Amino acid sequence: MSIPADPSLIRLDGVTLSRGGRVVLDGISLDLTERRIGLIGDNGSGKSSLIRLLNGLLSPDAGRVEVHGIDAAKEPGALPRKVGFIFQNPDHQIIFPTVIEEIAFSLEQAGRTRREAAAEASGALARHGRAHWADRPVHALSEGEKQLLCIIAVLVMEPAVLVLDEPFSSLDLPTRLGLERLIARLPQQVVLIAHELDAFSAYDRVVWLKAGRIAMDGAPEAVIAAYRRHGAERLAAAEGADPLEGAA
Amino acid sequence: MISLYLAQRTWAHRLPAWLKLGALAILSLLVTPLDSLPVMMALLLAALVLYAALGREAVRQIALLRPLLPLLVILFAFHLWSGDARLGAVSVLRILGIVMIANAVTMTTRMDEMMDAIEPLLRPLALFGVAPRAVALMVAMMIRFVPLIFALWEALNEAYRARTGRRGGWRLLAPFCIQTLRLSNHVAEALAARGGAPRANRR
Repeated sequence: MSIPADPSLIRLDGVTLSRGGRVVLDGISLDLTERRIGLIGDNGSGKSSLIRLLNGLLSPDAGRVEVHGIDAAKEPGALPRKVGFIFQNPDHQIIFPTVIEEIAFSLEQAGRTRREAAAEASGALARHGRAHWADRPVHALSEGEKQLLCIIAVLVMEPAVLVLDEPFSSLDLPTRLGLERLIARLPQQVVLIAHELDAFSAYDRVVWLKAGRIAMDGAPEAVIAAYRRHGAERLAAAEGADPLEGAA
Repeated sequence: MISLYLAQRTWAHRLPAWLKLGALAILSLLVTPLDSLPVMMALLLAALVLYAALGREAVRQIALLRPLLPLLVILFAFHLWSGDARLGAVSVLRILGIVMIANAVTMTTRMDEMMDAIEPLLRPLALFGVAPRAVALMVAMMIRFVPLIFALWEALNEAYRARTGRRGGWRLLAPFCIQTLRLSNHVAEALAARGGAPRANRR
């Protein structure tokens, strides 16, 4: 696989973004040079919006986004091939009724002919030990298998970055651990959002977002420990009141 | 189109798509002007034999044609009301037979083979700025999302019953539409994340 060795990075410079009249990202500046980056924070803190800037699904109101040498404002069309995106729910991502078509679609998007795409898609399935999946209808796959299919379909485009938005939320523990191991072996730069905090233990860096700003940024142990304290404090503050309401 | 692709391969999977589609088109053209009851009964019998020949999994898929039932009932009732039960039976049998056979073609033909067969017919659309690949994408997405949309309805129905003990029925229509639109929003985003739908000028 040819992953551009461009170590340069993901750079966000003074990025501000509003959605529906609410500021969701407020002057974020980040240089992401590490290979494994985690993104954590409460619901609504801006995590999903931030990663959507990385492949052009959202554009900032102010500030600059640069991903491996591509200026998001100047060449938004180049981003989907550079940045593979895995969504929380595979059923939202899988477009085709059979496995092989889903993978071939990515390759056709990258300019292959239908015949080339079909051949390469079979090759990709075989590389992941799933050659027998080719003709399976996607609705017959389990959640974990669907998630794997999404990843295979994105990887064939040979992106430089893989962005994952809470990919573990519907997976059982063994499946999640398998997916973590698969991600760990990838040559791509990875940006992962997850609420399963132990998934980040071997990561290079974790960024904690809070109300659209960076609350903390650094080594996983320190950031995650601080985030756990924050969770406990919010719960304590809500003590006496309805705990769910306090945490909402 | 109501039903799904069959996972295990059958003899019908090996037939070329153009042959299956061509046979279906000719058969439809032949039975449309006819109104003989024995012919239509033979048509339905042929459809049933076809399903039996495709195996147990295919026979099970017949249940998925249930949504067609209200339509057939209304059609028959209309003919009954206008005083021609025989013509009603002919119409119902004709539709059922053709839909079943068309469904069998869908079950045994992969989407890409189907589109390969149809794409030459779509080529003139490029003159109007419509990419044949975009049409192919549309058809594939429809087949992919029909079961998902059924599941959405089931989930809503379940949620309703869990709290009321009754079936939701028409009351679920509004939330169902909203959920379907939300689903299509998500899917549109995922499609955009992979470079968007093909356009006519791209290839």
